[in-house]
Amino acid sequence: MKILIADDHPFTLQGTKSFVESYGYKVIDTCSNGISAFNLIALHSPDVAILDINMPGLDGLDVAKKVQESKLKTKVILLTMHKEMTIFKKASEYGIYGYILKEHAHTELEKCLAEVKKGKRYVSEFLIDDLISDKIDATNELSRLTLSERKIVELIAQQKTSKQIAELLFLSERTVEGHRSNIIEKLGLVKEKNTLLKWAIQNVEPK
Amino acid sequence: MNKKIGQILLLLTLIGFFGCGEKKENEVVFVKEEPVKEEPTKAWLHKVENYKGNKNYLSVFYKYYNQEIKKENYSNAADILGIVCVFLADSYDFNEPFMATIKEFDTKYRKEVPALKTTFVDAYLANYYFDKSNLKKASEYFNNITLLEPNDYNSCYNRARAHYDLSYIHYIMGKQNLSLAANQKSFEYFSKINNPKGLAFVYSNYANIYTAIGDKKRAIENADKAIKAYKSIDNIYNVYIGLINKISIYDFLNDSRKETLIDSTYQAFIDSKDESKILKIKLFDFKVENLVHQNKLNDAKKILDELKPLVEEIDSDDLTQEYKITLAQYEIKKNPNYSDFEGVKKALPTLITNQQYEKVNMFYGLLKKNAIQNNDFKNALHYETELQIIADSIGNIASRGKIAELEAIYQTEKKSQEIAIQKTTILNKNTTIALLASLFFGLFLIVVIYIVKQKQKKLKLEKQNAQQYTKQLLEKTEEERKRIASDLHDSVSHELLSLKNSFEEKSNIANTKIDSIINDIRIISRNLHPIMFDKIGLKGSVEQLVERTQSVNDFMVTAELDYNESLSTSDELQLYRIIQESLSNIIKYANAVAAKITISENNNSIFVEIKDNGKGFNVTETLNGKNAFGLHNIIERSRAIGGEAKIVSDKNGTVVTIEIKKQ
Repeated sequence: MKILIADDHPFTLQGTKSFVESYGYKVIDTCSNGISAFNLIALHSPDVAILDINMPGLDGLDVAKKVQESKLKTKVILLTMHKEMTIFKKASEYGIYGYILKEHAHTELEKCLAEVKKGKRYVSEFLIDDLISDKIDATNELSRLTLSERKIVELIAQQKTSKQIAELLFLSERTVEGHRSNIIEKLGLVKEKNTLLKWAIQNVEPK
Repeated sequence: MNKKIGQILLLLTLIGFFGCGEKKENEVVFVKEEPVKEEPTKAWLHKVENYKGNKNYLSVFYKYYNQEIKKENYSNAADILGIVCVFLADSYDFNEPFMATIKEFDTKYRKEVPALKTTFVDAYLANYYFDKSNLKKASEYFNNITLLEPNDYNSCYNRARAHYDLSYIHYIMGKQNLSLAANQKSFEYFSKINNPKGLAFVYSNYANIYTAIGDKKRAIENADKAIKAYKSIDNIYNVYIGLINKISIYDFLNDSRKETLIDSTYQAFIDSKDESKILKIKLFDFKVENLVHQNKLNDAKKILDELKPLVEEIDSDDLTQEYKITLAQYEIKKNPNYSDFEGVKKALPTLITNQQYEKVNMFYGLLKKNAIQNNDFKNALHYETELQIIADSIGNIASRGKIAELEAIYQTEKKSQEIAIQKTTILNKNTTIALLASLFFGLFLIVVIYIVKQKQKKLKLEKQNAQQYTKQLLEKTEEERKRIASDLHDSVSHELLSLKNSFEEKSNIANTKIDSIINDIRIISRNLHPIMFDKIGLKGSVEQLVERTQSVNDFMVTAELDYNESLSTSDELQLYRIIQESLSNIIKYANAVAAKITISENNNSIFVEIKDNGKGFNVTETLNGKNAFGLHNIIERSRAIGGEAKIVSDKNGTVVTIEIKKQ
């Protein structure tokens, strides 16, 4: 499996190269900017291109986009410091195969390459951390709910109707109803009348 | 007849001269000191009844007077001489011995006594010469009196009197202009001492003068004033004299109102049961004339019979003659062939002197007719000639009246023309002023408008510059933050990464520490600047912001973003900052359950709305307060990208709206 690596930080580039080679893959070329990276991809058609996002010229996302647009076979893995979901989402639009954070490269890169080699996609398991607040107590059942769901439960505990809840949270009534059935599902409550209300009054501490 | 009335008036005023002298004590303006108690002889001489009743009066006077002169008591001598002067003048007794005494006093002793105390000398001499028809000399003496300094009641009174007498002399001499001027002076001095009786004389005099001039309107006006003045001092006798004077004026000027006035005056006199015989004769004569004229001969006869004994009793030449004329009028009316003309012939010269030409005309006509009937053609011719002369005189009076009337009309027209010219001049002046004023105002306005326009231009430019500056400042700040963020993110983080990787075989504590530092840097960097904003765009970045706010602040935010990247990245960034600021405010202050971010756009504009259901705040108060940086930040950023921010807040929450016009 031929691999191309692009990173504008020489040390990181070297480190990545040694990691990849230590896993038994062949690094056919390296470069330190996006334009070269795309040219090299077009030239060598490597199986995998490991790209940093922040690079001069074209950034990793641009390269991924161009690869997709040029319908090249090379599978792009982004190796980056960016932990933002928005960037991952953007990258996903360009059909990337892997998204790994640099600080966890030594643990995840091998796994990722293996998955990609099988034709599967790999996303860093640390990426999800970004969206979850540290404050939440994992033992509480409420923590399994999303923020909207928790807010709804809190308001149900205050005996608010769906309509009132919808108004308070700037949602549509239908959305609130949808959330309600999801919550009942998630919490595994018995399907009976006012089951969520009873549960909410018991489990939600009044603010 | 009016001449006679004038004479009566002169007599009355002479009496008034004394009457007023006694009254002086009551005057408010000039108070005369209390009269000293007089010695018996002087007091006796002072009494008018002694002069009238005692034949020895004058010899007592001479004795006393010479005695005082001898004693060189000139002031006292002058006092008594003055009193006797008045008594004598009143009774027209101008005897030679007394004249000699007066002249002696005038030359020898007069200078020893204050001028004011010796005016009686001039007055007596003036009256003396008046009586002798030497009007020139009389005028001279009256003029002497008018040289007094008018500085107290007495001097004013004496001057007023002298002017009045002078006016009368001028009137007799036919110099009506001088007469008017003198009368005017008299009026001024009588006004000064506020003497209503004197003023009444002056008005009567005016009436006579204007009658002579033919100024009917003024003549009657003044006659009325005189009557009013007499009424005001309750001098009934003189009120009737005034009325008789007015009737005479009507008669002279041939005014039709005469009959009505005679009737009303006659009636008033009858009703008042006045005892005055002279008034009765005069008024009854008038009434008879009226009745004869109206052909009520029986009534006329009745009054004539009633008058007859009275006229005989008084036995005055004047009054008898008047009665006879009236009687003749009655007889002629009753019997056209009446021929007892002896009385009439006798009366004719008086009638002519008094300018009663209508009556003269009638009598001459009768005489002529009678002469022709008697074949006395010589006399008929004589009467015809006289008739012509009288006709001329009547014409003269009529034409005088006409001329006066025309003169009055001419003067009025002249006046009104002058007024019209003045009005036009004023109008022209006003128009010019208005034109100039409006011109000036217009110029002023133009200048003001110009200055205001310039100022506005300058202000607009300054505002534009300020806005430009704000925008640049904001952009520069963002650039700076972006640079710092990426430096931190790219360089520092990578250095840390290298450090982490450089550890031989994993030192867990160090690794965890480094990871946590990297995470911290990540948070700092994303707080400084939204990560890869130009790549992610406004929509993605706001979504990210929403998610982060939800997870970090445990605060419910919903977003409805309908936006197609029609703004430049730097403008988008400002919008992002506005949203960020709003959210931050909501979380810090609003105490809201949830917030909602909406971005929508149509062909012309982009609308951004951030609303919450918190407790709200007073927008104006907060904006003017100290801690309004966040709100001003929102407003200034909106302005910098060509938009306008509106902040509305009440107890149900706050809505921030930004509208940006698309270019």
